[in-house]
Amino acid sequence: MSVIIFSLFTVKKVCNYKCQAFPSLSRLFYRYRDLAPQLVPLDYTNKPDVKLPYELIGSMPELKDNPFRQRIAEVFSADGEGNMTLDDFLDMFSVLSEMAPRDLKAYYAFKIYDFNDDDYICKLDLEKTVNKLTRNELTPEEVCLVCDKVIDEADQDNDGKLSLEDFQHMIVRAPDFLR
Amino acid sequence: MQPPTHPALPASPGNGTPPGASPAPGSLLRWQWREVQAPCLVAAWILVASLAKIVFQLSRKVTSVVPESCLLILLGLGLGGIVRAIAKRAEYQLEPSMFFLFLLPPIVLDSGYFMPSRLFFDNIGTILTYAVIGTLWNSFTTGAALWGVKQVGLMEEGVEAGLMDFLLFGSLISAVDPVAVLAVFEEVHINETLFIIVFGESLLNDAVTVVLYKVFNSFVEMGPGHVQATDYLKGVAAFFVVSLGGTTVGLLFAFLLALITRFTKRVRIIEPLFVFLLAYMAYLAAEMVSLSSILAVTFCGICCKKYVEANISQKSRTTVKYTMKTLASSSETIIFMFLGISAVDISKWAWDTALVLCTLIFILFFRAVGVVLQTWVLNRFRLIPLDRIDQVVMSYGGLRGAVAFALVILLDGTKVRAKDYFVATTIVVVFFTVLVQGLTIKPLVKWLKVKRRDHHKPTLNEELHEHAFDHILAAVEDVVGHHGYRYWRDKWDQFDKKYLSQLLMRKSAYRIKDEIWDVYYKLNIRDAISFVDQGGHVLSADRLMLPSLPSRTSMTESSVTNLLRESGSGACLDLQVIDTVRSRRDKEDAVMHHVLCGSLYKPRRRYKASYSRHFIPPDTQERQDKEIFQQNMKRRLETFKSTKHNVCSAKSKARLKKDGRKKKNSAGNAELHNGKPRQNINWQQTASILVTVDSDEEESDSSETEKEDDEGIIFVARATDEILRGKKVSGSLDVCPSPCIIPPSPTSAEKELPWKGDQDDLAVYISSETTKIVPVDMQSAWNQSISSLESIASPPGAEPGLHAKILACPALEEGPKSERQMTPEQHICFQFPSHPSRSSRPLSDGSLERTEQPELQPLMAPEDHGRVSTSTGPSSSRWLIQFNRPTRL
Repeated sequence: MSVIIFSLFTVKKVCNYKCQAFPSLSRLFYRYRDLAPQLVPLDYTNKPDVKLPYELIGSMPELKDNPFRQRIAEVFSADGEGNMTLDDFLDMFSVLSEMAPRDLKAYYAFKIYDFNDDDYICKLDLEKTVNKLTRNELTPEEVCLVCDKVIDEADQDNDGKLSLEDFQHMIVRAPDFLR
Repeated sequence: MQPPTHPALPASPGNGTPPGASPAPGSLLRWQWREVQAPCLVAAWILVASLAKIVFQLSRKVTSVVPESCLLILLGLGLGGIVRAIAKRAEYQLEPSMFFLFLLPPIVLDSGYFMPSRLFFDNIGTILTYAVIGTLWNSFTTGAALWGVKQVGLMEEGVEAGLMDFLLFGSLISAVDPVAVLAVFEEVHINETLFIIVFGESLLNDAVTVVLYKVFNSFVEMGPGHVQATDYLKGVAAFFVVSLGGTTVGLLFAFLLALITRFTKRVRIIEPLFVFLLAYMAYLAAEMVSLSSILAVTFCGICCKKYVEANISQKSRTTVKYTMKTLASSSETIIFMFLGISAVDISKWAWDTALVLCTLIFILFFRAVGVVLQTWVLNRFRLIPLDRIDQVVMSYGGLRGAVAFALVILLDGTKVRAKDYFVATTIVVVFFTVLVQGLTIKPLVKWLKVKRRDHHKPTLNEELHEHAFDHILAAVEDVVGHHGYRYWRDKWDQFDKKYLSQLLMRKSAYRIKDEIWDVYYKLNIRDAISFVDQGGHVLSADRLMLPSLPSRTSMTESSVTNLLRESGSGACLDLQVIDTVRSRRDKEDAVMHHVLCGSLYKPRRRYKASYSRHFIPPDTQERQDKEIFQQNMKRRLETFKSTKHNVCSAKSKARLKKDGRKKKNSAGNAELHNGKPRQNINWQQTASILVTVDSDEEESDSSETEKEDDEGIIFVARATDEILRGKKVSGSLDVCPSPCIIPPSPTSAEKELPWKGDQDDLAVYISSETTKIVPVDMQSAWNQSISSLESIASPPGAEPGLHAKILACPALEEGPKSERQMTPEQHICFQFPSHPSRSSRPLSDGSLERTEQPELQPLMAPEDHGRVSTSTGPSSSRWLIQFNRPTRL
């Protein structure tokens, strides 16, 4: 079995996030490879340009019921299409890690919410979120009301949409958030 | 305080002639003290304790400094002293059997049932670590250290105890006591995480304590020489059996309880009984097979709550809550008081200074060490680490209490020869922890600036994002293949949603169970309460100051809105009560309730309308809401009547209705131009619009009941731009094609019009404003009030020729456009059944149509304006009243 050498870049990145996950890096790599053994080579010395297509991730049985699967893949993948490289995959894990700082989690959460990538959570984004969360059980009016209320609560600068600052502020206010 | 003690005296056997037992006072009356003795004593003690609580609360200064538990112990000491002085011997011990069978279960059930389950399970790893490893550590180190002290020879010779005895003592003295922790920490108000860790530990360590106690007790009884290696293994196995078994028993009974409450629809009155009975059965069942009974009740409470609360009625919920609180509170009171009384009984004491002092020092020291060590490990796995201050509070908050006392009393004096010493030491330890630590923990928390529990209200954001994060994190864990806590929680949620909830919840309860909407609903009630609190003036969004009571002449939409909010809050006040656990908050609720009662509508019951259209079981809650709606409708009618009589008494009824419709449009029109809410619009200037007639016709068809009042109704659509916005948001309307062809016949027109399809869905929520207050199941009540209004407004009659009139309208090209314009409003706005009751109507409308043309023009532009503003501007449709059309059955 060939030696797995992670690209220096990846290791650095992971360290930046204080992932301290060195022992689990190889485990993660195998996990990544298990998702698509035919695509991912064991030898990563020359940084092959391998991407897991979104179809593979989205079709995982565990994720079948998850309303956010596509959005998550999109946010974490570098190409924004849901196709994940190993780097993306490690990023994902590092954010998940308990050691990841809150700000980082908040940032990714914000990105996930921000469906239209305009750096603000606007009402349409929230409506999408609510609809996903409630599995379309609410009527459009209710969704609209809920979203209004949410924006009303968290909007600090009264611009009708939530910026990253608004979002972080709100998360700080909630004490047991993002445990 | 004296009376209970005096009659108590004759109960003591062999005490000579008791002074209380007067000889039979003749043949008429017979002194039957012995028959009623036991229950009378119990009642008397509870009475004394409760009276004492009143006395304590008289002086706020004392209770703000001294915890109630301390005062109760002191009171117990005093009472015990009195009893002792009179009876010459100590009476009324805290009997272990009584404690474990009757006093402890209510407290544990209460804490389990009202445990914030999410917080508890989020911290379950930390709690379990402290409960299992921490307790083991404390027991062994304390016991071993005491044995070491004994070996060194610091203790008196009288303390005849070996290693096993000391380990036994260590096991019972090291367990943190849930009763004491709850009593003290409830008044300290530290932040929830810290509280749940300390309190959860005190609950879950029961299994460890029970096992250690039993194992060491058997070892002591066997004698240290006969203990074999298999016995140690048995001890380890016993731990798993006791803890997991207790949990299983609890879960089984929780399942049973939830299942039973599903079928109590007809017997609402005994719903609370089931909760208490089954929880108690769980306790007894676990006790019977010597499993951890505390674990059983705790998990029974935690797990059944979700389903039970959904199944039982609102009143039963309140009953359960208050009964549980009452029972737990009185149990706690009695426990502490009897602890004080028991301490007076010096006959069982055997004092050894070294033992007492060493025990005190060791339990404090080893708890601190244990906490620091475990926290150091745990912090590696926690996102929010427990900092130094938290650790101090956790070590200092390790209070010992009645459980330790009851266990030490249970020891067999013949086998454990140092029992008297242990009893004395335990009493001192309990007193020290409850009195000294309980007294000082409050200043300590203040001094260390421990993060307090902030009484921030639940926000929709939290709820929403919590849900979203659960999903997101679970998804990430899935992708990464890291099956952590969130993965299992997600799995559990899905399992719960798919099977458990459907099995254990009523269909009706399951249907309306959506947490986000639930929170939203509660928040609105809170807003309404705060609105009333502000004295009737609300400063919402940037809008307007509103009078709390609408004046008859200038009834605005907003004030109606507020009335709806107010009355809604009045009716649903109980919802929040469930959340409040502390007595102070209950008091505030009560005050609020009075405020609301004083300033709200006077309920007037009108059942007639309730049964007109839908059949609903007349639940009280629903009836109340119905009343509110009818009340509001009535107000509106009255207001309109007055306006009508003032302004246009000469107008005909049909004319009025027409104008009502027209006015709404023109009002919206004007408003879009000047952007200001218009309140009193002279609707005489405007003419009617024809295009809406066909839908009106449907409505009058649908109205079944007839009423003879000739009041017309006019609803001023104050914010048409918001209506448009609302339409914009209710996405389905946008995508459906607007009707471009004037339908040939009325019936097919009805079928083809796009809003027909949506209507049934939308009709569930009649008004955006009212749905804030009114739960989903209120729709029928609303529909009834609407339908009654409708029938008031429109006597059913045949209205043919309206569509022909449309067809004949000269401005055919305007037709589709204006219809498209009208389409959303017909969903959102109240429709005035305007139909020509007189044959002259079509003609006049037709003639008016010409004057109408210029006005239709500006309707188009504002719509675009509204669309634009939808995406950008802050949407605040909260003050908007939007009416749907009634459901067609």
